[in-house]
Amino acid sequence: MAKIDEVKEQVIIGKTKIVPGLVQEALDEGSVAKDILQAMIDGMKVVGDRFSAGEIFVPEMLIAAKAMAKGVEVLKPHLAADASTSLGTCVIGTVEGDLHDIGKNLVSMMIGSAGFDMVDLGVDQAPDKFIAAIKNNQNVKLVACSALLTTTLPALKKTVDAIRESGLSGFKIIVGGAPVTQKFADEIGADAYAPDAGAAAEKAKAIVAA
Amino acid sequence: MLTKKQNLLETIRGGKPDRFVNQYEAFDCSPSAPFGMIFSDPVMDASARPVIGGPPVKDSWGVTKAWPANVPGAFPVHDQEHKVIKDITQWEKVVKAPTLDYPQSEWDKCKAAQLEGIDRNELFVTVFGAPGIFEQVHYLMGMDDCLIAFYEEPEAMKELINFITEWKLKYAKLVCDNFAPEVIFQHDDWGSHKSSFLSPDMFEEFLLEPYKKWYGYYRQRGVQIIAHHNDAYSANLVPAMIEMGIDIWQGCVSTNNVSELIKKYGGKISFMGDIDNGLVDREDWTQELVAKHVRRACEENGKLYFIPCITQGGKGAVYDGVYDAISVEIDKMSKEMFK
Ligand code: B12
Repeated sequence: MAKIDEVKEQVIIGKTKIVPGLVQEALDEGSVAKDILQAMIDGMKVVGDRFSAGEIFVPEMLIAAKAMAKGVEVLKPHLAADASTSLGTCVIGTVEGDLHDIGKNLVSMMIGSAGFDMVDLGVDQAPDKFIAAIKNNQNVKLVACSALLTTTLPALKKTVDAIRESGLSGFKIIVGGAPVTQKFADEIGADAYAPDAGAAAEKAKAIVAA
Repeated sequence: MLTKKQNLLETIRGGKPDRFVNQYEAFDCSPSAPFGMIFSDPVMDASARPVIGGPPVKDSWGVTKAWPANVPGAFPVHDQEHKVIKDITQWEKVVKAPTLDYPQSEWDKCKAAQLEGIDRNELFVTVFGAPGIFEQVHYLMGMDDCLIAFYEEPEAMKELINFITEWKLKYAKLVCDNFAPEVIFQHDDWGSHKSSFLSPDMFEEFLLEPYKKWYGYYRQRGVQIIAHHNDAYSANLVPAMIEMGIDIWQGCVSTNNVSELIKKYGGKISFMGDIDNGLVDREDWTQELVAKHVRRACEENGKLYFIPCITQGGKGAVYDGVYDAISVEIDKMSKEMFK
């Protein structure tokens, strides 16, 4: 198996200790950094799909993302500084009044592994924090908002409303979290909804490309 | 008419209940306690709880908990500075179990305040327990670190889990000596609404034996019913729940397909829930909405091995009126279905 395929396989099964060395070997073999990155992105897509299908669980996803992150560290100096490998910046956060972040973190990892540069605001973020982040970061193509409580669904709506009213543009808004549904996402005028982290990465790519 | 107690036993034993068990009615033995169950004892009371809008506090395990004014509940703080376990291989150096050493007089006060006046004919002496073993682990280390450590440092995780379990066994002895509970209502959330946190294999590897020990001890001390709260998808964990000795899984959310589970496992375990907070406990709730969900749950699941109930882990709801609205609809369904 070519080293680059091994990188993909080992990302999928979350071998955090093995992946960095393999990435180095792939580079030594002459593989291009961008292709190695793509192999890892492909690996994470497999991981996302398996998670969506209920074949793997949160820990497997976390170690796969960690393995990829370790691989990317090795790759970083070799990746051109230009934006050609990036799908743009994604601002992500959990809405005001809500402190849940496990789901948001997974979504962040998956969207990040799909090729976005992530700006993670953390939890309990008021609408103006999202707006400030959109203003203060370059090339924002996606805003992702998470809400885990029925009591914070109104805050999700408030956030989407405020972002729309700010007049800022050039990005899409994706929402999610356990009590969020496609119907609710439509009602509050979000561009997309996804039920889980694997699907979120796919949706993110699709709406930003559209 | 059967007493609340008899009716519950008939329901979970496949007998002849004369109505639906209405949510937490049979466990509601301690009116002044937060969830109507026995809640206060010297060990639990010694652990600080944050108040809404107040400053963060450290509980008796050293976990920092915050409750900002604008959020509906308290929350463990897990930034690098606050998490108790920063390196799981070093857990022994940082984890200190709370003392269990209190004078009997303090237990006696709690007994007097909570046991007297319970109508033991109608109600089970029910002791509330939280957190569970898994929760205690992720409170100490944060969820992400915790889930990763199951892979990266399994031995250290087993040691930590064992340490927590041994503490819980000693605490369980005090609870049994003093309250002689008939029902233990224990929390431990094991997943999101779509999947369990751990695969069934990993769950069994780390949690089955500790829980068997813990719940087995309660059983040995005369506890009649182990009710376990877990408001998540966990249909894949039901075989393990049965093996642990859980009699009632409270909190089974609708994504579990409860009616299927009843067909498959009814008689070995009962299911309490299927009325999701996420669906009915909303700002825009109405009696009609509640009625629709209660009807679906009762009709689909039937009269045995099922207790219609809000999925949250204690009586009440986030929005005023929702819990009582559910109770009203359950009574209506009883009139209709138990003629
Ligand atoms: C773990 C948990 C906690 C942990 C959170 C730890 C943490 N760091 O996040 C702790 C114990 C701290 C906690 C606290 C509380 N919780 Co809580 N919690 C849960 C639980 C069990 C699991 C949530 C979770 O992490 N799931 C795992 C992840 C992987 O799944 P997920 O979050 O759903 O995310 C996935 C998808 O939703 C989606 N997704 C998520 N975000 C986004 C964003 C985008 C853009 C997209 C596309 C997709 C997406 O992708 C994710 C990955 O696949 C749920 C129960 C449940 N059934 O969901 C309750 C639950 C959410 N909590 C609840 C409550 C009430 C609370 C508290 C108020 C309780 C209290 N009194 O202490 C506090 C709230 C504090 C606050 N203000 O936020 C309730 C909410 C009820 C309601 N009315 O809505 C629930 C439903 C349990 C219940 N029925 O009572 N909780």
